Amino acid sequence: MRLGSVYFALLGAVTLACGFVDLMVTLSGEYCSWWIVEVPGDMFRGGWGGLIVLFAGLFYISSARNLSEIHQLSKVMMGSILIWLIAGCDIFARITESIPGGDEGWFNSMEGFQGGCAPPYFPAMLLLPFSLVVIYYIRKIE
Amino acid sequence: MSLTVDERWDLIDRISRETVTAGVYKETLTDVIGEITIKPMTGIPVVIASLYLFWSIFGSFAGFFTDGFFVKFFDQYWLPWWQLHFPDTWEWLYYIVVGDPLADNCLEAFGMLTSGLFVAVGVVLPAIFIFYLMLTLLEDVGYLPRLAVLVDTILHKIGLHGYAIVPTILSLGCNVPGVTATRILETRKERFVMMTLLAIFVPCGAQLGIMQQVIPETMGLVLLYLVIGYFVTGFVLNRIIPGKSPEILMDVPPYQKPLLRNVALKIWMRMREFFTSAIPFVLLGVLMVNVLYLAGFIQWLSCTLSPLFVYWFGIPEATVGPLIAAFLRKDLAVAQLSVIEMTWYQMVTAVVLVSIYFPCLATFVMLLREGWKELLGSLAVLIVVVTVYGGFVHLVGILAGVA
Repeated sequence: MRLGSVYFALLGAVTLACGFVDLMVTLSGEYCSWWIVEVPGDMFRGGWGGLIVLFAGLFYISSARNLSEIHQLSKVMMGSILIWLIAGCDIFARITESIPGGDEGWFNSMEGFQGGCAPPYFPAMLLLPFSLVVIYYIRKIE
Repeated sequence: MSLTVDERWDLIDRISRETVTAGVYKETLTDVIGEITIKPMTGIPVVIASLYLFWSIFGSFAGFFTDGFFVKFFDQYWLPWWQLHFPDTWEWLYYIVVGDPLADNCLEAFGMLTSGLFVAVGVVLPAIFIFYLMLTLLEDVGYLPRLAVLVDTILHKIGLHGYAIVPTILSLGCNVPGVTATRILETRKERFVMMTLLAIFVPCGAQLGIMQQVIPETMGLVLLYLVIGYFVTGFVLNRIIPGKSPEILMDVPPYQKPLLRNVALKIWMRMREFFTSAIPFVLLGVLMVNVLYLAGFIQWLSCTLSPLFVYWFGIPEATVGPLIAAFLRKDLAVAQLSVIEMTWYQMVTAVVLVSIYFPCLATFVMLLREGWKELLGSLAVLIVVVTVYGGFVHLVGILAGVA
């Protein structure tokens, strides 16, 4: 469980930083892209979504001590749920935007669809696999 | 045979010993998550996240069907087909059924079978479906009672209690079930305040869907004006309406997995209502507005109300037509507004006015069923609110230098 505490404290710090960057980029009003990361600059995904990522980071950090205690683990779970929620919405939006063909036809080509789902990704989507670790700890406590 | 009090208690003890088994309560993760979503400190971030989920999925799903497929189908196939094949023997009939012969998209044509069907099926149907799906899931998971607990303190400021969030959320789908749901409130005062606020400040799913389609950039500002109006008017009504707003005890159920059958049944019941009442109303709305245009009534009304619209609300007099259509369907009115030439702030003001101006006919009928005194009271409040709040929105625009 000690390893878990360290892991979620680190994940919390990264998540908090991502949320903070989201909010800063939104305030600047511009999109920011670097390698496989893209930070949205609009009020909805960047501002509102960034605020939720920030909350997820706070949930993780506040539960870093004594992870074996169910109340602490539930906060980790809540942080992960918030990440899943934001990432799930982003993935759903990408898929729904990539299926229609626009001016070229009813449906997009396979290449077009893959292009729409390819990187760069928003921070929450990149945090998603790391947040899944909570499932291991839930199984362990059960 | 009669028993003394002690003998009765002994009997109760004996029955309890034989029938009740006491175990040790073990807190589960679901219980604790249920607890933290109800405490303000941890529950408010979850509310913010739930609303994000709601709107994100709503926008993606509705956009997928409307922008991805329906706009193309209606503008490239449906409208040209009707323009080509509908006999133009009677010009007025063509105008009513197909609309403007020079229009190249269904929002501008404004015929019964072009704009009417596009708005009802192409824009509103996907929006309403996803709205009800999300609402049913939140309801069946057990989140709504928690939301009610969290907003209880805020809603007490406007003379309501936490469960008033249920009619409010239902009204975001359609005002008709929202008005019916006000019956869960105990006192006449609470029901009156709730019905008035629903009729004035809560836009329905159809209207939200069309707003998402025609004014996506400024929709946030329109909603902000409506939220402010909801609370300010509620606060004032709470002060001036006599009556009580009692406290209630809420039963918060544990979180549970929604059952597919229940979800499907609820969505079907709510969608059936849409098919049977909303679609005919949209078509009827287009018909009536077109007839009023042809009869010259709307032009006359535009001239008569011109000073109020132009100087007090700061919007073009051409918006009178959509405001009349709003009485039948508000989604239709927003679609009509989108083709009138005006600045972005005038558009915001006009959409806010469409929202707060008269409830749509279906809601009007529901209000009447709740009592004619309530209806007259709501209408009196509505006239004052529209005049004052419409002027206020214009004033904000002037002060910000955008009106």
